[in-house]
Amino acid sequence: MRIIGAALAALLAVSTQAQTLRPDQAAFRGLYQELVETNTTLSVGSCTIAAAQIGARLKAAGYGDGDITYFQGPDHPKEGGIVAILKGSEPKAKAILLLAHIDVVEANRADWTRDPFKLVEEGGYFYARGASDDKAQAAIWADTMIRLKAAKPLRRTVKMALTCGEETTYAFNGAQYLANNMRDLIDAEFALNEGGGGTLDDSGKPVRLEWQIGEKATQNYTLEVTNPGGHSSRPVHPNAIAQLAAALVKVDAHEFPVQFNAVTRAQFAGIAKAAGGAQGAAITALLANPEDKAANAIVSQDSTLHSTLRTTCVATLLNGGHANNALPQRATANINCRIFPGEPVETVRATLASVIGDPAVSVTAVPPIRPTPGSPPLSDKLTGPAAKLAAKYFPGVPVLPAMSTGATDGIFLFAKGIPTYGVPGIYEDADFGHIHGLNERIRTKSVYEGRDYLFDLVKVYADAP
Amino acid sequence: MEDLFSICREHRSLASGEYEAQFHAMKTLLTAVLTLALAAPAIAQTRPDQVAFRGLYKELVETNTTLSVGDCTIAANRMAARLKAAGFGDADLTVYIPAEQPKRGGLVAKLPGTDPKAKAILLLAHIDVVEAKREDWSRDPFTLIEEGGYFYARGSSDDKAQASIYTDALIRLKTAGTKLRRTVKLALTCGEETPGDFDGAEWLAKNHKDWIDAEFALNEGGGGSRYPDGRPKSLGMQAGEKVFQDFRLEATNPGGHSSVPRPDNAIYQLSAALLKVGAYEFPVQFTDTTRLFFTARGKIEGGETEAAINRLLANPADMAANAVASRDPRLHSMLRTTCVATLLQGGHADNALPQRATANVNCRMFPGDPVAGVQAQLVKAIGDAGVTVTAVPPLSPTPPPPPLTPLVYGTAVDLAKKMFPGVPMLPTMSTGATDGRFLTSAGIPTYGVPGSMGDPDGNGVHGLNERTRVDGLYQQRDYLFELIKLYANSK
Repeated sequence: MRIIGAALAALLAVSTQAQTLRPDQAAFRGLYQELVETNTTLSVGSCTIAAAQIGARLKAAGYGDGDITYFQGPDHPKEGGIVAILKGSEPKAKAILLLAHIDVVEANRADWTRDPFKLVEEGGYFYARGASDDKAQAAIWADTMIRLKAAKPLRRTVKMALTCGEETTYAFNGAQYLANNMRDLIDAEFALNEGGGGTLDDSGKPVRLEWQIGEKATQNYTLEVTNPGGHSSRPVHPNAIAQLAAALVKVDAHEFPVQFNAVTRAQFAGIAKAAGGAQGAAITALLANPEDKAANAIVSQDSTLHSTLRTTCVATLLNGGHANNALPQRATANINCRIFPGEPVETVRATLASVIGDPAVSVTAVPPIRPTPGSPPLSDKLTGPAAKLAAKYFPGVPVLPAMSTGATDGIFLFAKGIPTYGVPGIYEDADFGHIHGLNERIRTKSVYEGRDYLFDLVKVYADAP
Repeated sequence: MEDLFSICREHRSLASGEYEAQFHAMKTLLTAVLTLALAAPAIAQTRPDQVAFRGLYKELVETNTTLSVGDCTIAANRMAARLKAAGFGDADLTVYIPAEQPKRGGLVAKLPGTDPKAKAILLLAHIDVVEAKREDWSRDPFTLIEEGGYFYARGSSDDKAQASIYTDALIRLKTAGTKLRRTVKLALTCGEETPGDFDGAEWLAKNHKDWIDAEFALNEGGGGSRYPDGRPKSLGMQAGEKVFQDFRLEATNPGGHSSVPRPDNAIYQLSAALLKVGAYEFPVQFTDTTRLFFTARGKIEGGETEAAINRLLANPADMAANAVASRDPRLHSMLRTTCVATLLQGGHADNALPQRATANVNCRMFPGDPVAGVQAQLVKAIGDAGVTVTAVPPLSPTPPPPPLTPLVYGTAVDLAKKMFPGVPMLPTMSTGATDGRFLTSAGIPTYGVPGSMGDPDGNGVHGLNERTRVDGLYQQRDYLFELIKLYANSK
């Protein structure tokens, strides 16, 4: 999920009102609850069960066997997913794809205040692991597919892919699997994914809506130094740990250059406008001249903006030696890079090697080596209807484009030619609802309003020429 | 135990024992006139007293005393039975058994001297051995095998040769009714090879110092070295050792998501600290022992090195001389406290900013350097209050080295001139640790005696196929027997 550090002023207050559920909302809530209460962690959960539950609901809504495809990777029986297809009336029109992941980050009951796998509604919030990330969106997409089935046929085909493995780095990734192995099944003009949404202020007022357009790519690199070692009573030069430490200090000192693309230009322009003052002026100067060091120093004080401006690489893991009384034979570090869209993995590796400047320190990209596509294009065909609907549902709230510094599954689809966007619509609190952390939560109002907004948005896209 | 080179080669040894390092490896010592007769292959004739010794040695070696499956208490009881058979009474024999570890027992014995006012001397040896896997060895490590002029077995050198020689010496003195002025005490202990586990020498020094109290103690760690062809090269008298101490460096940080790096980072903070530790040189120091060692070493090296060593002896702050003398890592370590990073750990996930990064810095502290002093120097060198420096228990005692007195050193040198003519004696300081540190800090100056001259290949000590020369062992036994008598009859 994306993080924006700059505070933006709320332009309009939206009145809060007690939720009395409509019949369609009550039906949705049942689906959402079932999905949330199905544990889909890697350790003990099963995405396959969750996919089957969704499939059963789709069939009950009238989908035939031919419209539903279950998939799972070999040797990953619990990490399955589902693809559903609602055919459009115009066979030549390209499809749109609704993408969400149904796996969740681990949650330890002992650490949580409430059972993380029970949907608890309390004080205007839904509490549960996955209540926000990403089962709110997954439930909204499945509910949308069910409601559209009963509605008047749309021009374009609407596809839905619910996948497993977004939250894990080294396990099975369903979105990647579909993109690489079942590309035709999920083919679409574009895909709508998580990563966008909206931000509320502390009082729950909408501050902004966001389009996530493009993301930085995650890539790990290993730094490694080896040495014949020896007895620690007789230290020798060089020493593997000392060599690694010197390399890490150099990596720390290196700053990748400032870059902009169309998305981040628009994003920073929006931030500058909202922020004003010294920060606003510095952003404007940096947009004019990315090499403006003084401006960079000001803008980069904000860690999130710093990361949005460039590729970042940071040491995250360290390991070395084998005994307290032996000179180390090996020392390694993991460098976690977030690569600016479009920059090749090898270029970043070569930069690290050159910065370190010590042939004794090897720099290797660690599998999985992820694609690093550029950003999908900003298109009025997408942003126009979204803004128009936003004006209806959330009047006065600006809709801003943003590049995420974290990774989503969108990168796999875009690498295979399906531009993937994080849609606006589902608001998060300023603290991001503790996603990935303890006591994950989302405002009930955000879920229901987001659902209404997204349902209409999907219909508009699907009926577009 | 004789040769650090072998210790470094044998990887397993790094994780096990800790008392190896000797700096009497005088590779270039070619000036001495050597008596070839001493290096001649073993003659098949064995004296009756040697046959008796061999039986004791065999029994001790064949009693498995590893921590994993062995039993030091059995070995101690067996040695006690032999002493008893030789006439030692129950009052002069104590097999002690630690309550928590009944298999890590040891033995203390006493042969009273004629002069009740004369202080005793103590013979100290450990009877535990480093682990040995049958499938890795060419021969059964717990069967004494004589082959090609060598005794093969785990412990055949370290330290059951010396343990057997000491026990055998007491038996011979008792049965012969030899009158000695001083009381001779024997302590056979368990746990020298297993730092962090029960250590009999440490336990005795702390709990029953009266059992082992003595004017000085004779321990392993001295010995000597041979040329590749087996000729004796040098003898060593170890007086003092560097002190083993681990320090833990730690940096902590609130962490966060790795997609948004923050300006401070625990791994980078630790890295900067480690660079400073790596660049820091502790000041040059000498003890009486290392002064003698370096003087002798300088003569052997000659030229630029000798000049540098002499300048350094005159002025330990002479940086230029230090640069030359410290080129050799062995000399570098013998000149000062050294600290080196040996273990590194940091972070908890590839995609999270590290919340903690730690390093183990292993120090070999110069004798007499207090732990707090070394810690303070590390803290100052690092210069970052965010990196904590903590001494890791167990905190080793840091006794100053025992003095090389005319009695201890002169007697050994004079006897060596007679028994190993032409083989030079060198005082040495171990850069590794022995049990001597526990006794020395308890007020019993402990020395590594000469006699066991190791081969340049290290004799497989701590490693595979440990072995000791048969003729060398008998010569060592003869030398130590005479030396013990000289010490015990001294004023």
